[in-house]
Amino acid sequence: MTAAPTRSPRASRQSGTRQEKTAARQRVGPYPWVMAAAIAVAVSGAALSLNGVLRGWGWYWPVLTTVLVVSLTLAALRSVRAQPLLVTAGGFISLGAVLTLTFFRGSSVAGFIPTGGTLVELDRLIRRASETVLSETAPVAPNVGIVMVICAVLGLAVILVDALALPLGMPAASGVGLLAILVVPAMIKPQSVGFWGFAFTVAGYLAILACSQYFAPSARFQTDSARSPGQMKRAVLTGSVALAATLVVPMAIPGFDQGTFPQGSRLNPWGTSTGLNPMITLGNSLRTPDGSGRITYATNASTPLYLRSVTVDHFDGDSWGPDDRDASRLPLGGRIDPGYTVLADEQQRLVTAIDAGSFTSPYLPAPYAPESVRGLSGRWTWDPATLSIKGSDTTTSRRQEYLVTSTAPRLTAGLLAQSSAAVQGIPEDFTRIPGNVPDIVRSTADTVAGTGTPYAKAMAIQKYLRSAEFTYSLQSPVQGGYDGNGLSVLADFLEQKSGYCIHYASAMAVMARLEGIPSRIAVGYAPGRLTGATVSVAGQGALPEYEVDARDAHAWPELYFQGLGWVPFEPTPSRGVVPDYATESSTAAAPDVLDNNEDLLPDATPAPTPAPSATALPAPGGGGNAGSGVQLLPWLLGAAGVLGTALLVAAPRLIRTGIRARRLRPQDTGNAVPLGWRELLDLGTDYGLPPGSSETPRAYSARLRGALLGDPDGLDRAAHQAVAALTAGFERHSYGRPAGAVPEAAVDGGQPGSARGTDGTGGAVAAQVAAVESSLQANAGLARRLQAAWIPPSVMGRLGRLLAAPFLAAGRFLRRTAKAAARSRPGPSRQGVRDGVRRQSGG
Amino acid sequence: MESHRRTANDVSAANRTLAGLADPVSHLNGHRPAAMDAEGFHAATQRILSSVNTVIDGKSDAAKLALTVLLAQGHLLLEDVPGVGKTLLAKTLARTIDCTVNRIQFTPDLLPSDVTGVSIYNQSSRLFEFRPGAVFANIVIGDEINRASAKTQSALLECMEEHQVTVDGTSYRLDEPFMVVATQNPIEMEGTYPLPEAQRDRFMARISMGYPDKDAEIEMLETHQATSPLTKVSAVVTSAEVAAMITTVQQVYVSKAVKEYTVSLGRATRESPLLRLGASPRSLLQLLRAAKATAALDARDFVLPDDVVHVAEAVLAHRIILDRKAAGSGETPHSVLRGILSHLPVTSETAGTGTRNAAPAGRTAAPVTGLSRNK
Repeated sequence: MTAAPTRSPRASRQSGTRQEKTAARQRVGPYPWVMAAAIAVAVSGAALSLNGVLRGWGWYWPVLTTVLVVSLTLAALRSVRAQPLLVTAGGFISLGAVLTLTFFRGSSVAGFIPTGGTLVELDRLIRRASETVLSETAPVAPNVGIVMVICAVLGLAVILVDALALPLGMPAASGVGLLAILVVPAMIKPQSVGFWGFAFTVAGYLAILACSQYFAPSARFQTDSARSPGQMKRAVLTGSVALAATLVVPMAIPGFDQGTFPQGSRLNPWGTSTGLNPMITLGNSLRTPDGSGRITYATNASTPLYLRSVTVDHFDGDSWGPDDRDASRLPLGGRIDPGYTVLADEQQRLVTAIDAGSFTSPYLPAPYAPESVRGLSGRWTWDPATLSIKGSDTTTSRRQEYLVTSTAPRLTAGLLAQSSAAVQGIPEDFTRIPGNVPDIVRSTADTVAGTGTPYAKAMAIQKYLRSAEFTYSLQSPVQGGYDGNGLSVLADFLEQKSGYCIHYASAMAVMARLEGIPSRIAVGYAPGRLTGATVSVAGQGALPEYEVDARDAHAWPELYFQGLGWVPFEPTPSRGVVPDYATESSTAAAPDVLDNNEDLLPDATPAPTPAPSATALPAPGGGGNAGSGVQLLPWLLGAAGVLGTALLVAAPRLIRTGIRARRLRPQDTGNAVPLGWRELLDLGTDYGLPPGSSETPRAYSARLRGALLGDPDGLDRAAHQAVAALTAGFERHSYGRPAGAVPEAAVDGGQPGSARGTDGTGGAVAAQVAAVESSLQANAGLARRLQAAWIPPSVMGRLGRLLAAPFLAAGRFLRRTAKAAARSRPGPSRQGVRDGVRRQSGG
Repeated sequence: MESHRRTANDVSAANRTLAGLADPVSHLNGHRPAAMDAEGFHAATQRILSSVNTVIDGKSDAAKLALTVLLAQGHLLLEDVPGVGKTLLAKTLARTIDCTVNRIQFTPDLLPSDVTGVSIYNQSSRLFEFRPGAVFANIVIGDEINRASAKTQSALLECMEEHQVTVDGTSYRLDEPFMVVATQNPIEMEGTYPLPEAQRDRFMARISMGYPDKDAEIEMLETHQATSPLTKVSAVVTSAEVAAMITTVQQVYVSKAVKEYTVSLGRATRESPLLRLGASPRSLLQLLRAAKATAALDARDFVLPDDVVHVAEAVLAHRIILDRKAAGSGETPHSVLRGILSHLPVTSETAGTGTRNAAPAGRTAAPVTGLSRNK
């Protein structure tokens, strides 16, 4: 008996398991099954949170099957009392079998036994999954590869959790396996794990803990009360409180939506912008808080210049990307030929000197349409169909300085309107209507475009997209789960009517194609800002230098007009500059849209060239408004800041004044006396004499009169009388006979009535308070007066108490919980004795 | 028999004796005296106090407290070193009121029957006749009460509590108002029977007179030179007036907040780690009665927490017993009470009292359950 308490826990556990084993020969009970159910709930619950990493819910059934099969296998093996190692091995085998059954049925024997062909298949699927991971952004399409990988990982997680919880006897550590699953959505999804995923995971985890405590209590905490209803109730209560707290608390605290991991950013440890798919990196580039990848260029262009690096013309599939057409590319050497003739009268020749700086991409940013590029190093090719310039092999744009000569027809609305001839000589790539256009895109295109010339249709589409219905937002696609590209994303965009350039550009491009206009999406940079420096270019003299960085990344549609070539449009509100020819009907909407967005227009917008056509509207539409906005904005911000600061500084005083006004409201006669007394207390607090909790009204008023007021017979006589009257009134109010109750006999009959009569009215109380305050002011020093006026301690103290209240409540709760926990654990001596008794009976 | 009666009152005492015999255990006055109005009350108290103050210099607080105890129908224990005017205060107070006053000098050989009275055989009527003891008076001054034996003390204490005397199976009602003013000498305790705690509890208040200040002492030397000032004092109120004043005090209103304050004060003394014995419920009752009298003396018809605080030390200090450790570290009952009062929250608002008192009540419940668990 006496030796029992000194026995080490390890020894006791060993003897316990031995003894358990003999007991288990007779009966295993529901333990393995309940535990398996808890693990399955936890893991499949955690898998719920992967919705959003994968698109839709189609992937969930294979996941659920895998999790259930593996956990049931483990439970079944354990219920027939297999060796622990055998159980885990059985889990692995069942995982392999269920994966084969789901994904490699064709290449397997009897549907679930993998063969050599299965391994080849497996390799293919894994490669597909890695491609998906590399090239797509969340939510990715649930293709076979990625779903297979997820099923495998979750099956392994079940085995891991099970191994930690049962044979290793560390149920608390099994949370690590669940955490590993939750980390993925937490880092990838902007909404993080999500409510249901988190709730189910935690519920499952708590069930695991409860099971292991209920069925196999640890020797250290072995007590009688482990299974008592009180203990269960306490455990359930504690668990649910903790769960609720973890769900509620994040709502109150700000999340990581700024800084290193802004919302929707991908963890990208290998640097930004690999440039493989500009469409995917576009959103991230726009959201980078600091402009990286700075490009400077100097140009003689009189209109804002777009730098284009690549085009996207395949609108099929879940995710769009540039089509490189490696076969038809030509090495960059002599003149670049656009492949079509431009019938416009006037051609503009532009010379642009570009310094790509640290911008790293296989595609070379250049104004459209380039004729020749000089000064490049490395091997470069150009695509006759799109004129995109791409480095072959490992050549990238990094540290390239080059001079681009480009031509652009001087387009006018008139010219475009006349171009109604049938489109010829364009590759079919640019006219093919994608197969699975969502209905909303098609119907929108039909309603918006109407009938008319291709130009009219294009303008109608642009006008629709630039209307006030649409808002420019980098965040709402992330929050709405349609950040990315593809036709389904497009449908979401047209419903939500909020997105950024890629959505506008792709919407216009797809709708143009539906209306029979050849189109493609150009990806590059919107016009940049003047740096103030000049660059001297041979033959051109000094040219103004502009700069763009990742935040200027942009996408815009290019539409083909017979005889005029590829014409860029600008459907994105507030980004870029609407070309002259495209401003006809958008001027009305443009200012509205511009107002609610940051202004990215170059400060020195070149004067618009007078349009020779009938469009006499001033262009570009947003230029003038934006200019005044730029000048006004700092002033507005400054004024708002000053106003806000002033408000903040004056807030305590305003609050104090408001409180006093409410207390001394004249009509409130019933409560005038206690409110006046409270005001007196606050006044005293303000002047550095807070009432103590054990201080009676009379004692406080005596202290106040002694400390803060002057000579009772001199100037402050009125204040002394006021304090005395307020005190007497308040005492009568608080401790006196209630107004309704009639005394048994006429005791002090005359007094109460008269006191009430004079002191009960709000006006009298207000006058008394005012007298006290003026006297306080007269007797206090300057510092004290200022403090009382501007940072009254009564308000600040209340504020402090308000702020501290949650922490105090939490502290109280913790103390109570600790006390409850301490109470539920019996004394050590008793436990030792019990342990000893049990060992004797066991041996 | 060491009882000294004032000869002037012998006649009236004898008269009342007959009345007492004729109608034992009946109510003295037959009806409840009507309350006095505020002005009358105030004037009466002023008369009493000023007349006491002419005799005892610089002790107006003690005088006021003595009057408070009288109006609250309690008994007063004056405890101090010899020669500071304990007996003088008691005698002056008694003399300002036109009522019967008996003085008992307690000695070790004083018998209970000397206090209560005894039945003697009347040879003329051939009957046993009750001869009332010294306690049959409105104000009884028990001088040096600790010198009498415990038996005699007990006889007096029964009278104090019950306001009646039982001799040979017959109970005799005492006069109203009835007040015992006992004095006790803490020095020279050899051969005395100090009042045990249970009996000290019967006294509403204990007052230490204390030495007078310098001016008062000089004044005292001046005025007490030739004649005792006591001789100049005459009664300023009648006993009927005193009864009316007592009724007035009884009708003073006590709000719920003040009752709660009183109770929480009592509970705080019971929970204080410095105290071995806290305030009894009876002591809280007497505390509130004294507070009512204080309020009435202050010309108010309702009790403030200040009134409770004002009398708390006088009423509670002689009832609580210090923990040995606290006594060793130099605490006194007065200092402990002052500490408790300075930390006791005052509930001022009647509306909020319920919620505010819930928390301390819950807190006090916890140790109690803890104790029961440990058993």
